[in-house]
Amino acid sequence: MGEELKLPFEGLRVADLAWVGVGPTVSKYLADHGAEVIRVESSTYPEALRRVGPFVNDEPGIDNSGYYANFNSSKLGMSVNLKHPRGPELVKRLIARCDVVTESFTPGTMARFGLDYETLREVRPDLIMISMPLYGQTGPWASYSGYGHVLQAAAGFNHLTGWPDGPPIGTGIAYTDFLVPHIAATALIAALDYRRRTGKGQYIDFGQFEAAVHGLWTAILDWTANGHEQIRLGNRDPEAAPHGCYRCQDGRYIVIACFTEKEWEGFRAALGRPEWCDLERMRRKWSRLNEQKEIDRHIQAWLDDHTYDPARPKPVDPEGPEIPEDWQFTTEEVVAHFQSFGVPCGIVQSPEAMHKDPQLAHRGHYWKLQHPVMGLRTYDGPAFRLSRTPGRLSKAAPCLGEDNEYVYRELIGLDEEEFIELLADGAFE
Amino acid sequence: MTNEGPSVPLAHPTGPLAGYRVLDFADEKGQFCARLLGELGADVIKVEPPREGDPTRQNGPFFRGEQGLETSLYWWTMNAGKRSITCQLKLEQGRDLVRRLVEKSDIVIETNPPGEAAKLGLDYETLSQANPGIIVVSITNFGQTGPYKDWKATDIVGSAMGGHMYLNGDPERGPVRTTAPQAYMQVNVQAAVGAMVALYARGVNGGVGQHVDVSMQEAMANAMDNAQATWDILHINLSGPGLRRNNRAAFGARYLYETVDGWVACLQAGGLIGPQSGPIIDWLAEEGEANGLDSPEWREKLGGLEPLSPEDQAYVEETMAKFCAKRKKLELVAEAQRRGAGWAPVLSPREIVENEQLAAREYWVRVHHEDLGESFIYPGAPVKMSETPWKQRGRAPRLGEHNEQVYRDLLGLDDAELRRLRMRMVI
Repeated sequence: MGEELKLPFEGLRVADLAWVGVGPTVSKYLADHGAEVIRVESSTYPEALRRVGPFVNDEPGIDNSGYYANFNSSKLGMSVNLKHPRGPELVKRLIARCDVVTESFTPGTMARFGLDYETLREVRPDLIMISMPLYGQTGPWASYSGYGHVLQAAAGFNHLTGWPDGPPIGTGIAYTDFLVPHIAATALIAALDYRRRTGKGQYIDFGQFEAAVHGLWTAILDWTANGHEQIRLGNRDPEAAPHGCYRCQDGRYIVIACFTEKEWEGFRAALGRPEWCDLERMRRKWSRLNEQKEIDRHIQAWLDDHTYDPARPKPVDPEGPEIPEDWQFTTEEVVAHFQSFGVPCGIVQSPEAMHKDPQLAHRGHYWKLQHPVMGLRTYDGPAFRLSRTPGRLSKAAPCLGEDNEYVYRELIGLDEEEFIELLADGAFE
Repeated sequence: MTNEGPSVPLAHPTGPLAGYRVLDFADEKGQFCARLLGELGADVIKVEPPREGDPTRQNGPFFRGEQGLETSLYWWTMNAGKRSITCQLKLEQGRDLVRRLVEKSDIVIETNPPGEAAKLGLDYETLSQANPGIIVVSITNFGQTGPYKDWKATDIVGSAMGGHMYLNGDPERGPVRTTAPQAYMQVNVQAAVGAMVALYARGVNGGVGQHVDVSMQEAMANAMDNAQATWDILHINLSGPGLRRNNRAAFGARYLYETVDGWVACLQAGGLIGPQSGPIIDWLAEEGEANGLDSPEWREKLGGLEPLSPEDQAYVEETMAKFCAKRKKLELVAEAQRRGAGWAPVLSPREIVENEQLAAREYWVRVHHEDLGESFIYPGAPVKMSETPWKQRGRAPRLGEHNEQVYRDLLGLDDAELRRLRMRMVI
């Protein structure tokens, strides 16, 4: 195909009043695929992520947060004080020129500013508006505040993360912030496609809690159909043996999982066919599942013997088995070794390792973008490559209000006098 | 058998994707993706090998613990509301049927290892010859190309190689995987976005389809919170913080506390630390359990921007732990929320099903399994759309339940042809 194809969302404009993780991730998809996405923010009540690090040089600053930056590539920045008497009207005039509005305020906030869907559709009848608070627009918890870090607890991820004899530790991150936006984006783009064909806009009430519950895999049905409550299993899996996380001599961890008999056969060969694998109770998966503790012990002992840290002299254990040179592995080598036998295996990669990962580099997952304050920084791209209309991160995250002149003059249509007047009066703060 | 057609899927003409058709050849990495598109209105046809059916029908847990082709709760969850046909892709006649289906479809979702799809005639090159508008979503462990493209992976490998597992865990016990498989979940939902972007692109580009190459590793890499940026900017590796929260190089304040009836999640030691700490200190003071934290000196220290000393932090956490240990979690959360602090309870699957907010939102859907004479509660709308509502479309299909419907009504095969295909074990 020789012809030039349009970027999918070219020509669409989005007013993004959402904040923190969920909303910005949704609009990032639109921005990275061609839409003009305008972050609508305020210095009087700055976006939470602008106030959380990492900051370049460790210096907190409104335009200096890598946290904010990563979720706001390819977007423009506008600032407005919604509490200024003319603030809401200015935003409404912008929305009249937009196809999509996103927001994640506490329910009722948009209506207080006269920016609820019913009002906005008067100025833009085919508007799509999506609201994305934690618990949806209605119900006894509608006004509850919080972040992804606590929503993961309500949504069951804490209960299902950790060790069976330990507390429900949760996933170490604000997990739902990184799960639910993809479901919201799927629905939003489906709504856009419907609008493209029918001309009809709509209102989307997205409750993060409700989307997150779908992430529990079989746990809901196991309760409602079987009356069985699933619980956290550490690194075990009810259907695989071995299935776990093990330490190599350099202190890093690897994971190994065998679901099929074929994988188990590969695993045996990769270990050099030790005798314990031939025990009757190890032969079939259903009986191996009862021997996980012992299997884990064998794997850990094998890794103790067969891996080494290239930065240190190889340990010599006069009591231990003599290991031939070609059966001594670095962590990378031992993973490649198991993989060469068809065993699902991988390193628990640190953020540093992710940055150096040859596969991610090959895929071009990380984008380097120049930011006026933060310099050249790394951004995550989408997990998918479209063969004809690939996403592209067109620019670094916006500084607060970076594009005010364009937005207020060209889109909202203020003349120079009015622009300066409102600027001086604090309407853009 | 009656002459009535199958009772699933329930019609969904008002979904935003009504009128589109999806062919689902996926394993765990793509079945939820396909289901989501079906609940938004697309006609989703699950294509399974004849006789033994899709391998994931063997995934546990099973209804009443009884393993069988139609009892997998995994299958029920991930394939609800789809149609099922059987088709042997290893036979030329089977591949021919697929080509004819592709002519009448919009999206194909497949999860074969790189290179394997071509052997089954499911690669983009082949399918786009049958239908230039087709969108082929290929979901793999690491992507279609690159040094790890042939690596074997399951959910835990995706979690490990995708960087999330390093952040998940405990300083003493090491990394942990979330027991409900999240690398699978992430790649499903991110593939759904990719499919939608390609569908929209097709609409604005005169109907031209394309190949969507999705990587489970990359999907998990997108779930690293601010850890990617923290390495990029500060060269610090965040790691599993246990009960705490990652906060740069150090672990931040504990955010999980045990109560009389379970646990609560509350950042910044329940809000005792930070500029908004006043109302929470007041709360403890009103109950006579502030442990001295309501003194002017403490208030200043807790509300300030300077980090607390480790001793002070431990004292604050201990105060909060004692306070929570005497109370019930939902009462704690309601009162904390009333005072402006964003607490949430740690809920189990049972507690989620019984949750008052989800009940008030009429979240749950009863799904009828007429063969069992029972109905079961399924998760409901992940999104409420005013013009084109989401819809649960009934139970998962039995193996080949829709062969007649699809091959006869959609492809126009007659009885004799269907019989021949059955005899030759094509379907």
